[in-house]
Amino acid sequence: MCRTRKTMVSRKRLLSPLEKCSARRMLFGPVDPEQLQKEYQDALSRDLELACHRWGFDFRSEEPLAGGDFQWERVPDTNVPLPYRPCLVGLGGAQGVGGLADMSVQVGLSQCGKESPPCTPEKYTAKLQDVETTPDKENGLKRKQTDLTDFYQAKKRVVDTPRKSGQ
Amino acid sequence: MDLLCLEMDTIIRARPDPNILCDDRVLQSLLNIEERFIPQCSYFKCVQKDIQPFMRRMVATWMLEVCEEQKCEEEVFPLAMNYLDRFLAVEPTKRCNLQLLGAVCMFLASKLKETRPLTAEKLCIYTDNSIRPQELLDWELVVLGKLKWNLAAVTPNDFIEHIVRKLPLPEGKLVLIRKHVQTFIALCATEFNFAMYPPSMIATGSVGAAICGLQLDSGNQSLWGDSLTDLLAKITNTEVDLLKECQEQIERVLVSSLREGRQQQQQQEQQQQVQHGPSSKTVDEPDQASTPTDVRNINIYRE
Repeated sequence: MCRTRKTMVSRKRLLSPLEKCSARRMLFGPVDPEQLQKEYQDALSRDLELACHRWGFDFRSEEPLAGGDFQWERVPDTNVPLPYRPCLVGLGGAQGVGGLADMSVQVGLSQCGKESPPCTPEKYTAKLQDVETTPDKENGLKRKQTDLTDFYQAKKRVVDTPRKSGQ
Repeated sequence: MDLLCLEMDTIIRARPDPNILCDDRVLQSLLNIEERFIPQCSYFKCVQKDIQPFMRRMVATWMLEVCEEQKCEEEVFPLAMNYLDRFLAVEPTKRCNLQLLGAVCMFLASKLKETRPLTAEKLCIYTDNSIRPQELLDWELVVLGKLKWNLAAVTPNDFIEHIVRKLPLPEGKLVLIRKHVQTFIALCATEFNFAMYPPSMIATGSVGAAICGLQLDSGNQSLWGDSLTDLLAKITNTEVDLLKECQEQIERVLVSSLREGRQQQQQQEQQQQVQHGPSSKTVDEPDQASTPTDVRNINIYRE
């Protein structure tokens, strides 16, 4: 019997010398919801501030900032895939924002940073051509089913060739 | 026609994939990228002002208990602790928000690793309703931002199979060994000392500690002492001395954790004794308390 009791020492006891009862408990006292909300808003705006600084773009006013590492350029929102188009709920959907355009970013070679280094357009098109040939080779038959490579194409074409997806 | 759903309330897991587990390129990639997910500084010294090491331990213990009660997958807890450490390494946090942070980290880790993740409501109940689901969701975004949305962190658990399959271990003991290794990994995650160790080292040290602790009586010389350490060190490219130190540290943490557990048990028994008077049950307790630490006596199977 003694043996069974010993082997019953559970991992819970092994790892939780602080508490033995149920895991439901408050650890560091009550949280003030108003204070928490304020801290949340502060944290978000700090994040936004950092992002604006990082990308040289004011995400609040949707305007490029002066002196950033990036050169921002407007593209019509019909040129970007659907999920990236701005939609204002309750303002008539996509039509309401027809005037707005997305910004695309162009980066000089010197500024290719560590974080998601944007490729030069030359590189992009070179790669694209390789990819584009693959479905043609395989699609000698009149097969309508999409290949995985079709999606690659649609995705990569976004910036350079103004062909609309889904059209 | 009526449709009848016969799906049972069981979680369906994929079988271990030999293409992943038996390929050294996978192990090599894990070793190559693991450094990226280690918190960059000893944050109690250089970032945090309000939070003390013992508070991390409190929140970690609570998180582990929640994960156990909810029967989360093994890697959820170490992954959640990785998020917590990475957040604390960059963001000064007040102690009153630490439990909220712990809950958010479990929420994220569970969503990444489980087919049926923990719900926000459930997690809030575990904080004794000191936070609300909406607050959990709000802070999820803040935490994600600080983690740069980099959630697929390498954990020590990722290395277990890669290490274990390269050791000449007795087939029948593998389940027990894995279980012990996972326990050691969880134990390490509760200790801040290990937060800045590479996951591969924690995994290797845990495997070493588990094999030594279980004193597997296989005649295989390579499972003994230094030759085991050498073999383990080679598998994950860890320096032998560092690995030895890590393993010893794990064993020390285990001993002190067991001791604290026993002390607490004794305290509770004493309280009981005061309340109910001596009983025959308490007579043989000191015998148990004086039992030397021996992992083999600990059943760490989950019921």
